[in-house]
Amino acid sequence: MPSASEPTTAPATTSPATAPPTGAGTTRRRTADRVVQVVAVVLLAAAVLAFPSLAPNPYILSAGVVVLNYAVLSTSWSFVGGFTGYISLGHGALAGLGGYGTALLVTKAGLPSFVALAVAALLVAALAVPIGFAALRVRGASFVIVSIALVLILLLVFQSWASLTGGSRGLVVPRPFPDLLRPEHHRVFYYLFAGLLALALLAWWMIDRSRFGLGLKAIREDEDKAEALGTPTFAYKLVVFVVSAAFTALGGGLYALWFGDLDPVFQFSILTGSYLVLMALLGGVRNLFGPLVGALVVGIGLEYFKVEFGDTQLHLVATGLLLALVVLFMPDGVLPAIGSLLGRMRPAQNSIREVTAAELRDQRVAAAGAPAAREPVDAVASTAGERAQSTEERA
Amino acid sequence: MSERSEVPSLATDGLTKAFGGVVALDGATVEFRHGQVNALIGPNGSGKTTFFNCVTGMIRPDGGQVTYQGRDITGAAPHRIVRAGLGRTFQLCRVFPRMTALDNVLAAVRPVGLTGLLRGAHVRADLDRARGWLTRLGIEHLADVEARNMSWGQQKLLELAGVLMSDPETVLLDEPAGGVNPALLDRIGTLVRELNAEGRTFVIVEHNMDLVMSVSDHIVVFDRGRPIAEGPPSLIRSDERVLGAYLGV
Ligand SMILES: Nc1ncnc2c1ncn2[C@@H]1O[C@H](COP(=O)(O)OP(=O)(O)OP(=O)(O)O)[C@@H](O)[C@H]1O
Ligand SMILES: [Mg+2]
Repeated sequence: MPSASEPTTAPATTSPATAPPTGAGTTRRRTADRVVQVVAVVLLAAAVLAFPSLAPNPYILSAGVVVLNYAVLSTSWSFVGGFTGYISLGHGALAGLGGYGTALLVTKAGLPSFVALAVAALLVAALAVPIGFAALRVRGASFVIVSIALVLILLLVFQSWASLTGGSRGLVVPRPFPDLLRPEHHRVFYYLFAGLLALALLAWWMIDRSRFGLGLKAIREDEDKAEALGTPTFAYKLVVFVVSAAFTALGGGLYALWFGDLDPVFQFSILTGSYLVLMALLGGVRNLFGPLVGALVVGIGLEYFKVEFGDTQLHLVATGLLLALVVLFMPDGVLPAIGSLLGRMRPAQNSIREVTAAELRDQRVAAAGAPAAREPVDAVASTAGERAQSTEERA
Repeated sequence: MSERSEVPSLATDGLTKAFGGVVALDGATVEFRHGQVNALIGPNGSGKTTFFNCVTGMIRPDGGQVTYQGRDITGAAPHRIVRAGLGRTFQLCRVFPRMTALDNVLAAVRPVGLTGLLRGAHVRADLDRARGWLTRLGIEHLADVEARNMSWGQQKLLELAGVLMSDPETVLLDEPAGGVNPALLDRIGTLVRELNAEGRTFVIVEHNMDLVMSVSDHIVVFDRGRPIAEGPPSLIRSDERVLGAYLGV
């Protein structure tokens, strides 16, 4: 018997005292990173909350609402696009469904505005089950195309079903607070969107740190491998798609209540989905605040172009150019890029990569067969005697 | 060597799979016994990997049946087959490149219920178990390194650590010695024997005959999608059909 180790099925666990393989330097760097992150988040939150008081006029305030709406939608998008890597161009349609659902529940069913919003989100989540069931069977480019098809189909349906949706004449949504003046209306909705954003970020964060989130990220890395390790990949994708759809519908519904007028051409537009993809990729999908930061940059850019150049197609050119630049030079988005820039400005410390290089060197020495350098070999919990025996057997 | 057990662990009956005109599996009927280190050998393209893929549910066979511990698992989803106790590695070693070694292993944790799913991925008990496997495979010092920054040999060890984390009763290894240095080869051989002594069954696809002969209790030889010989290493070594089909002499 070439084994002297105990016949247990679980491996010997390391004692907590020796377990963390990270040096004190790594720990200190992590603490520093934490502090930088917390400060950045607090500043960002303060800026977002202070904005309505600083906005010089109602128009700027309404632009702020639009940008926050984008932030909600791109964060919702990244539940699917970020965690699992399934790039959907169809999320505009889910927002549109949320908008029309809310509007119709108010106008046709007479529900109070915010009850209608919640019910519409639930209905869209329910509808996301069959949609996801069909769409999530295909990967990569095929999934993108299926998601585009979703938008086109819904556009056709909502345009031609004019008796219900008003078609291209539009659908007027009653205001939830009819007594409010315009600036107040914007301000209230600004904070409602901020609250919804906080909720979406919280959900994203909870999933990100959970076992469920780790499974989703495994799907993004290598779906078949994840399945082969025991992850029910299809169920995972479907659940997170439904969560994403629910938040997207909430964003779309809140927009309907704020804007007060819906037109299928804008609600079911591939452009919306494309913007969300750009925002998320720009900010970085591996990052809690990535899509939000991307939405701030792109959203503000879009509003700026509208003011400066009016209703031209110029913003489309700029958007396309930005997308190409991001994909080419910052595939992980701006937040990680900024992070590594900060890292380079710090005093010299071993980066993880350098540690790896050292490890690779060790490995190479081990490969050369130098007995003294075979420390890691002994870590397999084998004794020299066993190794000698297995060599004998091979002889 | 483990005593021969009569309990079949993994068995196939008339397993068939064709890719277009290429017949990869041609009615393969095989039985691997519980508690043994089994080897599956055969020339390139003889259907060994396809056999693993059909058995683990990655590919649906055109015909035939797969049973594991007496249960019919033909056509079941791969994650269900893993949960039934059948784990595998891939010929071209597959790890999650942008995850740390630790997360790679933790990805094999099996959450139960909603609360299990929403628990932190880095809870103490899981971490200890994952670190334990990394330690056992001699790569605990790489726990915080992303898999893509690890060497080929380290990645192979990492993949194995992940599979073991899912606590499989039977482990299918597709060419564990492929592209690894002699020191690591020894280590893998020793590890397989140890894990076998602890009660795990192995099926190993391997071209390295030194490893196959030293580590296995039972060898099945494939040629053109079906077994042509089987028996203990001493017998296979001198089997003429095997020499003809496989060793090319
Ligand atoms: N996904 C696939 N699509 C098409 N043909 C395939 C596929 N997988 C395997 N084949 C074919 O099936 C046959 C058996 O391949 P398989 O990979 O099972 O062989 P193998 O015994 O594992 O070979 P090797 O020792 O080289 O790994 C080969 O002819 C191969 O080309
Ligand atoms: Mg193969």
